Amino acid sequence: MALSEFLQELDALKSDASQRFEEASTQEGLESARVEFMGAKQGKLKATQKQMGTVDKADKPMAGKKLNEVKSAIDSAFEAAQSRLQAGAGGGADSAKGPRFDVTVPGATVQLGRLHPITQTIEELKDIMGRLGFSVVEGPEIEDVWHNFEALNISPEHPARDPLDNFYIGLAQATNNEPRLLRSQTSTVQIRVMEKTKPPIRIISLGRVYRPDEVDATHYPMFHQMEGLLIDQRVTMSDLKSVLRLFATSYLGGDVHIRFRPSFFPFTEPSVEADYYWDGRWVEFGGAGMVDPAVLTAVGYDPEQVTGFAFGLGIERLCMMRHNIRDIRHLFNNDTRFLSQF
Amino acid sequence: MLVSRDWLTDYVDLGMPTDELTDRLAMSGLNHEGTEMVGDDPSIDLEVTSNRGDCLGHIGVAREISVLWEQKLQIPEAEPTVLAESVSNRVRVTIDCPDLCPRYTARLVRGVKVGPSPDWMIRRLMVAGIESVNNIVDVTNYVMLECGQPLHAFDFAKLAGGQIVVRNARQGETLEAIDHRSYPLTESMCVIADSKSAVAIAGVMGGAATEISGETTDVLIEVAEFQQISARNTARQLKLHSPSSYRFERGVDSHNVDWASRRCADLMVQVAGGELYAGVVDEGRPPQPLAQIELRYSQIDRLIGINIPTDEIERILGGLGCSVVASDKTSITVVAPSWRRDLTREVDLIEEVTRVYGYDKIPEDAAVPMSPSAKRNEDRVLAVVRNVLTASGFFEVITASAVVERWSTVVSPWTDEEAIQIGTAMLKGSHCLRRTLIPSLMGIRSFNERQGNQAVSVFETAHVYLPRGSELPKEQRNVGMLCDASFEQLKGVVESIIELLHIGTDIRTESYENAFFEAGRSATLYLGEQLLGFIGIVAAKPAKVVGVRSAIAIAELDLDVLQTHCTLVPRHVAHSTQPAITQDVNMIVDESVSWASIRDAATSVAGETLDGIEYRETYRDVKQDGEGKKRILFTITMRAEDRTLTMDEANAVRDRSVANIESTLGGKHVQ
Repeated sequence: MALSEFLQELDALKSDASQRFEEASTQEGLESARVEFMGAKQGKLKATQKQMGTVDKADKPMAGKKLNEVKSAIDSAFEAAQSRLQAGAGGGADSAKGPRFDVTVPGATVQLGRLHPITQTIEELKDIMGRLGFSVVEGPEIEDVWHNFEALNISPEHPARDPLDNFYIGLAQATNNEPRLLRSQTSTVQIRVMEKTKPPIRIISLGRVYRPDEVDATHYPMFHQMEGLLIDQRVTMSDLKSVLRLFATSYLGGDVHIRFRPSFFPFTEPSVEADYYWDGRWVEFGGAGMVDPAVLTAVGYDPEQVTGFAFGLGIERLCMMRHNIRDIRHLFNNDTRFLSQF
Repeated sequence: MLVSRDWLTDYVDLGMPTDELTDRLAMSGLNHEGTEMVGDDPSIDLEVTSNRGDCLGHIGVAREISVLWEQKLQIPEAEPTVLAESVSNRVRVTIDCPDLCPRYTARLVRGVKVGPSPDWMIRRLMVAGIESVNNIVDVTNYVMLECGQPLHAFDFAKLAGGQIVVRNARQGETLEAIDHRSYPLTESMCVIADSKSAVAIAGVMGGAATEISGETTDVLIEVAEFQQISARNTARQLKLHSPSSYRFERGVDSHNVDWASRRCADLMVQVAGGELYAGVVDEGRPPQPLAQIELRYSQIDRLIGINIPTDEIERILGGLGCSVVASDKTSITVVAPSWRRDLTREVDLIEEVTRVYGYDKIPEDAAVPMSPSAKRNEDRVLAVVRNVLTASGFFEVITASAVVERWSTVVSPWTDEEAIQIGTAMLKGSHCLRRTLIPSLMGIRSFNERQGNQAVSVFETAHVYLPRGSELPKEQRNVGMLCDASFEQLKGVVESIIELLHIGTDIRTESYENAFFEAGRSATLYLGEQLLGFIGIVAAKPAKVVGVRSAIAIAELDLDVLQTHCTLVPRHVAHSTQPAITQDVNMIVDESVSWASIRDAATSVAGETLDGIEYRETYRDVKQDGEGKKRILFTITMRAEDRTLTMDEANAVRDRSVANIESTLGGKHVQ
């Protein structure tokens, strides 16, 4: 048999088979067409294949290639017809009785952990403050009196230094009679940075702080703070208000406004409580103010040369407001039914 | 501080509605906590910050209002008529402890008639939150709520020797206060005594023995200054906080002591009759002269970012009670009022002027210059660690930094020094600052088990506190992890962290014997020579100490060591495009031979075509190989940079490796 003849026969076979498969309207019809063309013994494809023996030896590779193409084309045509009939069946009276794939079965579980909501809040705050040019700093949690109080202009008679309001390290371990304590605010880190660095300074200090408190829905003896500090040659309270507004606008979205109410902190003067206006009401943001000249002097800066602002906020409160958490104890119980919600 | 609106009208005109009043006060420093009607008089609750003792009296609040609304402040005269006889004939005052009581004054009224107070006084006291007692006590409270200076009235007849001695309490001394409870006193406390015994706890509460009763006829009026810390410590130690101690803690106006005393005597004679002896017994140091403060106008703009007109600055300072000493175009010099002990510096005046002028006038759209900021390497490393752990099914937890003694001693892999103790327990019984995160994680595991949350894997990143003698302790940043996977599975998690941090060196393990772990199932981990951390299966007994029921694996790593070895910005290394050849090897070795030693023996002789050695599995076939033997299967992958390796070359590499293992470790290759 000449190659061209063989190729023609194959083409004819392909178009016949495809047509018959396409025309089949029932499973039974399709099955008889399948036997006719693809049957293992009497099928037309088989018969044509047998004729290949008569093709010239030199032409055999070409013939074989074509044969394979046609074979797979017929296979695909059959499969297409079969899926068409199955899809058409769609649970109708003549649908197949065999096993069916159920796409509604849930996917295989991927066991994933979660980041603690406090970490998620902290990361968000770091992101925003980072975009505003504030670098993150951390420092020791066990502090001396200089960094926790004195350099922050908290005088010995200030109630904040009371032993009952702080976690002082046991006397046996307070060597050289120098008291040590778990820091009660993250401003300690700002002092450490200022002692080592010349202005300009633009940092946030973050981390755990400790104050003895009875545990209840809003108090826990350990919590997290974020404090911001900007020191430069001409930093004003207007800069403070503007940075807080940028921060709040980034955190909450929309156009948020800031208001200051006078307050009192030893390490800032003037000192204010900052509120932001959001969702139709004023919400407490945190304490803020202009760094007290006594603090600038304590770290070796000249208050006539530089000014600065500082602000601080409680991360638990922010996190709880953000996620509608009503009891601070959830954050530290670490029940996975709680943690898996974030 | 509860303020009666009606009372305020004695000192200042109140044309504005109460809401407007409280809003404006809140915006200028007296936070509004709420208002309740008591009868027809609003009782306004104002929060007074600890630097503003002057606002713990109605006059102080009225002064704020007078400045804000540009009103005139009227302070009542206090010029009572007096007898010819001087009080100093009748009363003697001695101060033995001038450090605790810098000043003490006494006036004496004779022939009073103790009875109920007039209705207007009872009403005002009630609105201000104070119960009426009798006309004498009420007058002292009234004057305190008027000007902020606490006062006390003694039944003069009951003061032995007609004498007042201000001294330290004596060891073992007790005093029955007017609440009829007995208080044990300590030597650091200041008491008022007569010639025999203590009759009052200075600045905190009077004594029952000398209190005003129906029989009282002569009254000694005490107006004094007590030291702030002493008043606070005494009140705290005795758990006896009174309106009087609250005010002394914040400091009183030494220039107002005499006015308060005269005002009290005047009102007392008005409401209870009687006659006032002439003069006052005034012991201790006189009020200190007040310092001058200069305010440079340019500093307001420098610090606040706004300009305030100079006449407005002068008006505000004057209204607050400052007297102007000098002023010119660039600055103003004032003497701050005696009741504002918080005003000592230029910046204090700037705050006063600005808060009254209005913080709302500060713009919130300043152009703050841009500034670069980079993410810290600590945060980059933490992000990788957290990503690996959460992807591996671990929940992040946050637990208290202090633990109970029992947990603290259950394991301490990082140090043998005793845990640092805090004086006050953080949570119930938690005195020990933790030296490892592991017990806390076990606590969370145990808590979740009890909640019915099964197979919980947790991790925490936090400081541990490692004592260093007299220095501040080393605070090491650790990551601790706990799960109920096998040793190999948890080690795989640790290795994933190492891999994602692109740490070139392999973890080196050393066996670690510690009763906390199951025997043989724990290891110390090293990166180079640095201790990275610990890993192991917790033994049943220590697990029970923390209340964990099931078998758990734990690991704890030093984050700084990870950071030291990590490569945060990996650089691309070109890989060979040549095909690899792999050879599987099955070695029979003694139980004591570790995989690491086999790997090292193979690697050391494999040559440059070695692409990797991968551990497959260990199994034991006692029948064929006998006791004490194991089979370790691994795959050697070989690849050349420049050519396709031949099978002969690959076989040679394998054979060299196998021969070295056999000769150095005594293994036998199974073909």
